[in-house]
Amino acid sequence: MILGVALGEAAPTMVAVDDGTATWPVARGAARHASRACVAVDLGGVRTAPVAAIRVGGPCPEALGPVVGSGAATIVRGGHSVTGRRLAPLDTEAVRRFAATCGLVDFAVTATGSPILADHELEVAAIVAAEVPRARITLSYEFGYPGLREREADAIRNAALGPEAGRIADEVARELPGVPAYFARSGGGLVSAHYFRRFPLTCDRGAAASLARGRAALSGGGGRVEIADGAEVSAEVSAEVPVEVPDGVAAAYGAALGRPEAHVERIVLARGRAELDRVLRDARDEALTRVVSAGAAPGSAGIEEITVNPLSYLPDGLYRVRVTAGGRPWAG
Amino acid sequence: MGRLIDLDGLGRFSAGSRLFATGAGQSSYNLAYDWAASVVGQGGGQGVELVAAGELAAGTLCVAVSLAGSTTALGEQLPAGDEPERAVRALERRLGERVGAVVALNLAAENALIPLIAAAGLGLPLVDGDGTGRVFPLVEQTTYTLGGMSAAPLALAGGSGELVLLETAADRVEELLRPVVLAAGGWAVAACYPMAAGDLARVLVPGTVSLLMRAGEPGAPRSAAAPYGVRTLCRGLIQAVEGSTGHGGELALPSLPTSIVLRESEGLRRMVRLEAHNEILLVLADGAVVATVPDQICMISTADGMVVDVDKAEPGLEVDIMVVKAAPVWHTAEGLALGGPHAFGLAL
Repeated sequence: MILGVALGEAAPTMVAVDDGTATWPVARGAARHASRACVAVDLGGVRTAPVAAIRVGGPCPEALGPVVGSGAATIVRGGHSVTGRRLAPLDTEAVRRFAATCGLVDFAVTATGSPILADHELEVAAIVAAEVPRARITLSYEFGYPGLREREADAIRNAALGPEAGRIADEVARELPGVPAYFARSGGGLVSAHYFRRFPLTCDRGAAASLARGRAALSGGGGRVEIADGAEVSAEVSAEVPVEVPDGVAAAYGAALGRPEAHVERIVLARGRAELDRVLRDARDEALTRVVSAGAAPGSAGIEEITVNPLSYLPDGLYRVRVTAGGRPWAG
Repeated sequence: MGRLIDLDGLGRFSAGSRLFATGAGQSSYNLAYDWAASVVGQGGGQGVELVAAGELAAGTLCVAVSLAGSTTALGEQLPAGDEPERAVRALERRLGERVGAVVALNLAAENALIPLIAAAGLGLPLVDGDGTGRVFPLVEQTTYTLGGMSAAPLALAGGSGELVLLETAADRVEELLRPVVLAAGGWAVAACYPMAAGDLARVLVPGTVSLLMRAGEPGAPRSAAAPYGVRTLCRGLIQAVEGSTGHGGELALPSLPTSIVLRESEGLRRMVRLEAHNEILLVLADGAVVATVPDQICMISTADGMVVDVDKAEPGLEVDIMVVKAAPVWHTAEGLALGGPHAFGLAL
């Protein structure tokens, strides 16, 4: 039995799913015997932590600087161009000073050019970790897409969501001891609780995505929800009238239908076919590793889609690569 | 004299500049907009004066300002902020003359905003018009060239403080410019086509800035941005995006060719093939040629109405293929030679 859980303003909604049919409600005792729990939650309105943002790059107009709200931000010299050339040596001393004096523990690090070469972000992470032992660090290259400000905003939001995501994952683990937990992604699919703690941004709109998935399954995908009263089934909701299923139930059901999924995006430099094949292999391997980290059984992980586009107005050999990997959950 | 482009005008102008803009990156567009908004309001918040070329004294020195290179690179490696000014000042030093007005090379997204940023920063008017009426990949592919003007001398300012002045024959500018832009990290701001206002009035596509400001008003139809006409070829679902690793041809264009294959979602359900090389050059429907450059071919996402760039196309996207008629000058023999299929190596 797979447990679907929708977290919202009110008490959690739980459904038990067997062979595509959901039963609601679920007794607490029964829930603790689930093979896995799939949790749908929207992080839109949750409490956020103040973030220490470190941008690695050159000076820019004030209007283009890091946006951290109540946190702290700095720009230090370093980074790489999209062609992989080092713009400047990393100003390690400035990183150390900022880390030591900002008084915060949630860090977001964004280096110019990190989708091509992540060296400077990794170097900053090492300095921050040495300086602030309790630091939680988000590196923007994990998101991988070009566009420094957008990637930085996402890294900052991911860092800001970290503590609350940890609290949510703890609460689920307390409520469902011994049940492996997965969380619904914004774009569909699931990630492990461990992955959710590190990359809560991936699940920012998990409940909305699960609701859409659940509604779609009920209105034509052959999905069913049986609404039980105590132990007896009093109403069976057929596909013709999916509107009778409350939103929370449909979202919990939609989450339970998901499978682990992960994405990798990079800009790669490859001169010629052989080199392109090699960097694509690397990107595939990374996506497979990532989907296993997101809770897929290692033997089940596979590549679902790979897109390679040459970048316009740049020289031969620069491509934007996006890989999607999926698999079966290892639990249940 | 002319009108002012203030913050409100900037909003309409930039919205209009995206209606048919290809090759614009979301990230670089956002930063160009935020950058423009921060300078348009400076110096007392007057905004930028918009003038017709004919309103300027005939001898006024005008220069075209544009982004050169890749929007992806600009979105990743941010500008220091002084690039437009540094490029224009370098041309002034070379010519021994002060610039009196700025004009755009083309008005697609970032390329519309960067001359506006230059004008605001330098306290100069922006000329109402541009050098293409659409986008072409090469700096020489302009109505300025068709009118006998040279892009050189050309000054390039890069994001790491680089400054390069190019002097060469008019038809070799791109050849020299591209490796320099690349060495600067993939993008630079170019100041080029120095010319007298009297000449500019003769060679530009006139009135296109105010046209886009009108087209960017809420509720205005997309066709308002296409003064010479626009048609929708078909609606289709992208089936495949095929990259090429080059064709070893004689042709020197940045980046690589791409083919995008669509299946028409309605009507004849034709197999539609787009041949792209930075821009979409050619559309085949069931093997028959249905559109080519110099007309501008765009993919518009049916989901959000935004232009889909060639390097963002992916299987599963549904798009409308729209063809924007180029300014009449592009359909003359000289215009076709510079911006038609042959100019892109297509022997049609």
